[in-house]
Amino acid sequence: MSQTETATPAPKTSHAHQLHVLKPERSRLGLMRPDHSKSVFIDWLTTVDHKKIGIMYGAIALFFLFIGGIEALIIRTQLIVPENNLISAERYNQLFTMHGTTMIFLAVMPLNSAFFNFLIPLQIGARDVAFPRINALSLWSFVAGALVINFGWLLEALQMMGLFAASGPTAGMTDLAPSGGWFGYAPLSSKEYSGVGTDFWIMGLQILGVASLTASMNFIVTILNMRAPGMKMMRMPVFTWMSLVVAFLIIFAFPAITIALGQLMFDRTFGTNFFNVAGGGQPILWQHLFWIFGHPEVYILVLPAMGIISEVLPTFSKKPLFGYSIVIFSGAVIGFLGFAVWSHHMFTTGLGKVATAAFSLLTMAIAVPTGVKIFNWVGTIWGGRIRFTAPMIFSLGFVWMFMMGGFSGIMHAAAPADAQQQDSYFVIAHFHYVIMGGIFLALVSGIYYWVPKVFGKMWTGSLSTWVAVLIVVGLNVTFFPMHFLGLLGMPRRTHTYLEGFGWSTYNLVCTIGSYILAIGILLLLVDLIRCLRSGEPAGDDPWDARTLEWATTSPPQVYNFAKTPIIPARDALWSHKHGPEGKKITYEDDHGHGIHMPSNSWMPLIASIGFVPLGLGMTLKQAGVPYMGSLAIFGLFVITLGLALWAIEGPGGFHLHPEEDEA
Amino acid sequence: MSDVHYAPLPVSTKSHKDSETDKYHTFVNLALCLAAITGVELVLVYLPFNATFIFTVLLTLSLFKFVAVIAWFMHLLYDKLLLTLAFGTGMAIATGTFVALGSLISRSNVDLDAITAF
Amino acid sequence: MSDTATAHHDDGHLSLNNDNKKLLMWLFLGSDCMFFGTLISTHLIYRKIYPESFDPTSLFSLELTSFSTFILLMSSFLMALAVSAMHKGELKSFRRNVLGVIFFGLIFLGCQVYEFAHFVHEGLTLSTNTFGSTFYMMTGTHGVHVAIGVFWLICMYFYSHTGKMDAHESAVDVEIAGLYWHFVDIVWIVIFTAVYLIEFI
Repeated sequence: MSQTETATPAPKTSHAHQLHVLKPERSRLGLMRPDHSKSVFIDWLTTVDHKKIGIMYGAIALFFLFIGGIEALIIRTQLIVPENNLISAERYNQLFTMHGTTMIFLAVMPLNSAFFNFLIPLQIGARDVAFPRINALSLWSFVAGALVINFGWLLEALQMMGLFAASGPTAGMTDLAPSGGWFGYAPLSSKEYSGVGTDFWIMGLQILGVASLTASMNFIVTILNMRAPGMKMMRMPVFTWMSLVVAFLIIFAFPAITIALGQLMFDRTFGTNFFNVAGGGQPILWQHLFWIFGHPEVYILVLPAMGIISEVLPTFSKKPLFGYSIVIFSGAVIGFLGFAVWSHHMFTTGLGKVATAAFSLLTMAIAVPTGVKIFNWVGTIWGGRIRFTAPMIFSLGFVWMFMMGGFSGIMHAAAPADAQQQDSYFVIAHFHYVIMGGIFLALVSGIYYWVPKVFGKMWTGSLSTWVAVLIVVGLNVTFFPMHFLGLLGMPRRTHTYLEGFGWSTYNLVCTIGSYILAIGILLLLVDLIRCLRSGEPAGDDPWDARTLEWATTSPPQVYNFAKTPIIPARDALWSHKHGPEGKKITYEDDHGHGIHMPSNSWMPLIASIGFVPLGLGMTLKQAGVPYMGSLAIFGLFVITLGLALWAIEGPGGFHLHPEEDEA
Repeated sequence: MSDVHYAPLPVSTKSHKDSETDKYHTFVNLALCLAAITGVELVLVYLPFNATFIFTVLLTLSLFKFVAVIAWFMHLLYDKLLLTLAFGTGMAIATGTFVALGSLISRSNVDLDAITAF
Repeated sequence: MSDTATAHHDDGHLSLNNDNKKLLMWLFLGSDCMFFGTLISTHLIYRKIYPESFDPTSLFSLELTSFSTFILLMSSFLMALAVSAMHKGELKSFRRNVLGVIFFGLIFLGCQVYEFAHFVHEGLTLSTNTFGSTFYMMTGTHGVHVAIGVFWLICMYFYSHTGKMDAHESAVDVEIAGLYWHFVDIVWIVIFTAVYLIEFI
């Protein structure tokens, strides 16, 4: 039996002078690992640190929030008056498709992911996630997917500037940006009715699926296996609990869309008959498969928001969360029921009486655990010593606005009512109240709450109040009139409308509201930049908070906790600050061998870069551009190469000695 | 593809080896069993029994093979409950979802005239 | 060198790391249930709504499919032995068994390639009808899984010759490769019954 050769010399040599083994070492491959001490740029590209990865997720998500917001503003500006001609109907289709896709997959999900990445290891007292390199792969493949999805916009821009024309070898490239709606219903997404944009959309979503799946499996393993001693499941912060539920939702919901997208791609590229009506395909199957993914996706978006609220409300009410175990249980129930209600998106397709009644009932049943949560939050602030700080204001806004979205959701659950509301602006009003009024407010609350921890800078001034007022007023002015528009019969995805339907005033108000909202979000970015540039040092625990992440420094050191904390109770830090003697956080003695840290690696980045030629190659091959099949194979080769080198390279690692560092 | 460093350990105890030998016998028995079942299945479909009966038996046999491979070959029986839960949840959701989906789509919903392929 | 504290420390890392890898693999397999669930149910739904559109009994050769099912089951058996051998630290026995798995896996792939070629020759292609589309995509995805598994095991076989493999470090790596391989096997158990046998009742 052979001896193992590990990449690290650490345990075999003396521990005394391994300080700053941050120097690059040779991996098992004989290649140098990236030197993160020399170039900040290389450090960030090759990092496996969950905190840096989280920050990058957040920055990219905010960028796409900005892009998606601009798309929304153009849509609203087009609808400001009847028979407006600002943009063509085709462009309008592209805009609402990309607005939906961008906001869901490139803004909200990665913003959630930013919080997952940054917070989960800190909240459970771990040094990092279970598989730091897989975490880096998730980030970079997300970036690759975002590039592929948005490649159509790039081509559209080039075409406008006269630098690109669909002629010669590229003659097959029509309809450059996706325009089939964010749920890409067949047969609208089939080859007859849509061009190369749909292929960008398909391949982009596939790659984003890889990112989400790998990240989620990683988080589940992290939460279940990497908890600090004493951090029992029922002592975990609620945000971590909700992340766990979300990660399970992702790994069981995404495969459905992956296969459905694969089938659609085969239809378009190889002429199969999955959704091709003439060949016997059933477009309804696409709807089912999409919503089998799509409905859990709604909870994938909203549960992290509920987790954030469950952290912020107790902190600023100076009370423990009311009914901790019930909040967690109802979160899990919401997640589980989320798999059993997908057909309520399809009531009007004629499912049959029994199925419609069953899905209607199950949908209404989801209101129960959701209502339980709302009551628990109200119970938390009831009688609390409330501080109206920025995070608290947004969280209170969430409770109120999310309930509004919930109410119209119950209305949809009744199938006869839904038959009236289907595909009207009423639906738009409903899900924007849930997403903007609910999820987005919670995410902003999370940003205000945790940025002092992430960057170690405290917010200055009272701009946040203006942000809150503008966003809440803006979203209500934008989306409340849409209820009436829907009831007056205005269908969604309408390029323009005639005068005299009674829709004009409401549309004008909506558009004005959307600009108020936009100003609010812009001020949020201004506030953020101001905080980062000139914020005072925040200190470890600026909010007098309750959970473990506030026990470490702000910003946290690369190793999170100098010594592994031993968790005495739920709300560990609160118990540490105010609890009895036996309920304080203690720390494990590491016997002087320091903290083991994983080495940086190029391989996740290289493997992810391969997704770009793979995605673009598959797309352009379908459009008949020559040599694109080879490009796709090249992409596949790069991915395989990256993964193979990754495996051979080994995890590596080095040891840190924080006490000496801090001295 | 681990990302955490580890070093070699001293060789484990003898009882570990014994349990591996026990497993060997289980594996051989199971392999014979699986081969036999596959043979039975092949013969069964040609026998002139009632279709429902054959269908039920086939379903039972393949379910047995499925569970047996998971339980013994994949060590789920010997391993932590957590792993069973992780896999079982996925299996349960998948089964539930696709049984429901299968019963939602029926021939009566299909416009056969629109299909030119057959 | 390693005092007791260090040994304890690394012990913790090792067992934790093994737990992590195994859990990751089982989660992936749970997720893979949904992948294959979608593919198989798509196939069965189209069989259910168009029972008359295509009769595969003249095309399918149950003898061949039963043979490849048998081969895959036996490869699973050998894989279980290989994992067992690795746990005991018997590298030679591990290599012998893994070579067997690779060989059987290649036979299975060969049967599938022959089957596909035969079907295409008989006129069933991806675009012929819904049966062709769903059948090829489902069995093809399974075949790709088998091929990835074979590639993985070949890598492991060669890695076992570098002298870097031993019972303590690599047993879990072999085990998760084994889990993957067995899963591919159970998927085929389902496909064999739900797609092949059922057509002959």
